[in-house]
Amino acid sequence: MKKVLSILTIIAFMLLAACGLNGGGSTAETTSDADSSKTNDEKQTLEFWHIDTGEKELVYEEAVERFKEKHPDVEVKILQIPNDAYKQKLSVAMSGNDAPDVFHSWGGGWLKNFVDQGKVYDITEETDKSHFNELALNNATFDGKVYGMPLSLSIDVVFYNKEIFDKYGLKAPKTYDEWLNVIDTLNKNEIIPIALTNQTKWPGAYYLMNFASRIAGPELFDSAFNREGKGFDDPAYVEAGKYIQELVEKDAFNPGFNGVPYDEGQGRQLMYTGQAAMMDMTISFLNNVKQEAPEFKEKLDFFLFPTIPNGKGDQTHVGAATGPVWSVAQNSENHDLASELVKELTSAETAQNYTDRTGSLTAIKDVVPADEFTKRFYDVVQQATHLQMPYDQTLPPELAELHKDTTQAIFGLDMTPEEAAKKMEEKAKEVLK
Amino acid sequence: MNTPVKIADRHGVVKLNTVTKYKKIRSALTISAFVAPAIIIYAVYVLFPIMSTLMYSFYEWDGMGVGVFVGLQNYIDLFKDAVFWRALTNNTWVVLTSVFAQIPLGLIMALMLFAPIKGIKFFSSVYFFPFLMSTVAIGLLWVLMFDPLNGVINSIINVFGFENVSWLSETNTALFAVLLVIVWQFSPFYMILFKAAIVGIPGELYEAAEIDGASSFQKFFNITLPLLMPTIVSSSILAIVGSLKAFDIFYIMTGGGPNHGTELLGTYMFKQAFINFNMGYASAIAFIMFFLALFVTIIIQVMDHFRKKKGAYGI
Repeated sequence: MKKVLSILTIIAFMLLAACGLNGGGSTAETTSDADSSKTNDEKQTLEFWHIDTGEKELVYEEAVERFKEKHPDVEVKILQIPNDAYKQKLSVAMSGNDAPDVFHSWGGGWLKNFVDQGKVYDITEETDKSHFNELALNNATFDGKVYGMPLSLSIDVVFYNKEIFDKYGLKAPKTYDEWLNVIDTLNKNEIIPIALTNQTKWPGAYYLMNFASRIAGPELFDSAFNREGKGFDDPAYVEAGKYIQELVEKDAFNPGFNGVPYDEGQGRQLMYTGQAAMMDMTISFLNNVKQEAPEFKEKLDFFLFPTIPNGKGDQTHVGAATGPVWSVAQNSENHDLASELVKELTSAETAQNYTDRTGSLTAIKDVVPADEFTKRFYDVVQQATHLQMPYDQTLPPELAELHKDTTQAIFGLDMTPEEAAKKMEEKAKEVLK
Repeated sequence: MNTPVKIADRHGVVKLNTVTKYKKIRSALTISAFVAPAIIIYAVYVLFPIMSTLMYSFYEWDGMGVGVFVGLQNYIDLFKDAVFWRALTNNTWVVLTSVFAQIPLGLIMALMLFAPIKGIKFFSSVYFFPFLMSTVAIGLLWVLMFDPLNGVINSIINVFGFENVSWLSETNTALFAVLLVIVWQFSPFYMILFKAAIVGIPGELYEAAEIDGASSFQKFFNITLPLLMPTIVSSSILAIVGSLKAFDIFYIMTGGGPNHGTELLGTYMFKQAFINFNMGYASAIAFIMFFLALFVTIIIQVMDHFRKKKGAYGI
């Protein structure tokens, strides 16, 4: 009896295993079926990955609909991937030559990483350069070849609470000394001068970039990055670090800023409740305000990062970022169609929808935002002579991470600016060749 | 005359041999057929990744394309890396708090559940709640509670006349703050383990002790604790191995910062792998983590073995 039972069990197990195998086989078959039917019906499929939600996602979906009207024989599979998981997911797909036909990036060093490995399709010929803001397009152009078309452009400005400034008779500062006065006055009145959320590390990095650009002009970074004479241990970087530490020592920021994350909103809360008066942030902050505290928008105003005495940089040098930048993968089977989709995603119509409905700026020329407030950002960009892309998106990943780590340590007074600059330059020598 | 008998004998022996051999092979086959699924899954999902991690750790590889063989260079760099030693020290702290805070606390909570208190069932569920919550939710919750300006914890210590503390942004308080959360989150797990073990202790032992006039302390130290030893040992292994692998709560609450103050082997490995794309270097860290966990487990097992040999209680 036992024997029979054990034999039965074995048979059952083997059957199960066989079924399992069969199951695997059949799915493989169906996919290959799908593949062949695709070619049979001449219906081609493009895969498109992005990371945005809400209005932005709707704008993309509408652009895809327009594309499908022009190309009725093409199917577009849209996949929205949460921001945090995106970088990893795309890297894995890229390494397996399994990347989507059209994908999101932020341009800069991260995109270049894939370009260097021959994973991104060169779309120079398809690109109408006059259609884009030149400085934004440069962020996806490597060795004179275009590898992505930017849709959005963002700048970083210092937001402030008008009501608080009026109450204490303060004016938006133009120079660093004026800024220090504002900070002193606010401190005396027990208001936190500047809200900073530096657990995430990039908000603090804006200060280093802005100070360095104001001290030595925007050429400094390009020279250090391209290894053309200057380095990341340049005296200007050390000085920038010292300015940061001066602000910290003057209690310009909320206490414990190095442990406060940005996304969770405690920093913005300080602004909304009037506990803090200023915040250096990208203009996406405006979008947060609209969603989280619409009534606060009335009190909101901004100024550009103040200038430094005897500094070479001025207020037309603006910190900026691009993203989404749409690129075509090298492993795509339909480079032409994918390029067409990228063009639709950066068309004037898409851009106008994007700027009007999300309150963001676009990297497309002549797309003027209807909203007054956004229009003022637009004017800043129009007058800008240089757009400084964030270091952490321009530098190779390892150096970018070190830049953020050392800057956070400068803020925490855990590291001297000299030490931080030295570390950066050492790594730069190793990584940038 | 003798020969045929011998032959028959031999024949019989041979026959017997083939039968037992056949039986042996058959049972070996049966056993392996039953064990095979587990072995295959274990090999594919455990052994193979461990071996490939070891292999990757000898390469300089960015996760794409082909790596360059660099021998032990990754390990040499690693041992010179100050962040690695920092991470290792922090991991040691996590291990120590897990073993010397979580487990005793779990035991105390379990003992409390057997005390004749009203509404003990209610408490037993409440104590268990932290373990049921998702780590991400716990992390965010505590980040808000540790907020330097508007956090609950600072409000509480203000009542006692202390100044605000920037819990998560000072290198020396951040580690403590996260360790507190870890203890809070995982003690209930050990509570459940101990609770189950205490239920299994025969009541006669306590009755006998009572008749002999043992105090409750004597009962605890001479009956409960020795009989819980096996559970304590396995809990320690779980706690130590778990702490060496710790990642999520640190990643959420501090991201390893500030200035690597709460960096762990796990978070450092993640950064090297998925932010810096140094897969080879990250694999070296991963393998060291594996090695440490294995080493510690073996030590505990050996110690336990000798403890049992000495004739102590245990299963």
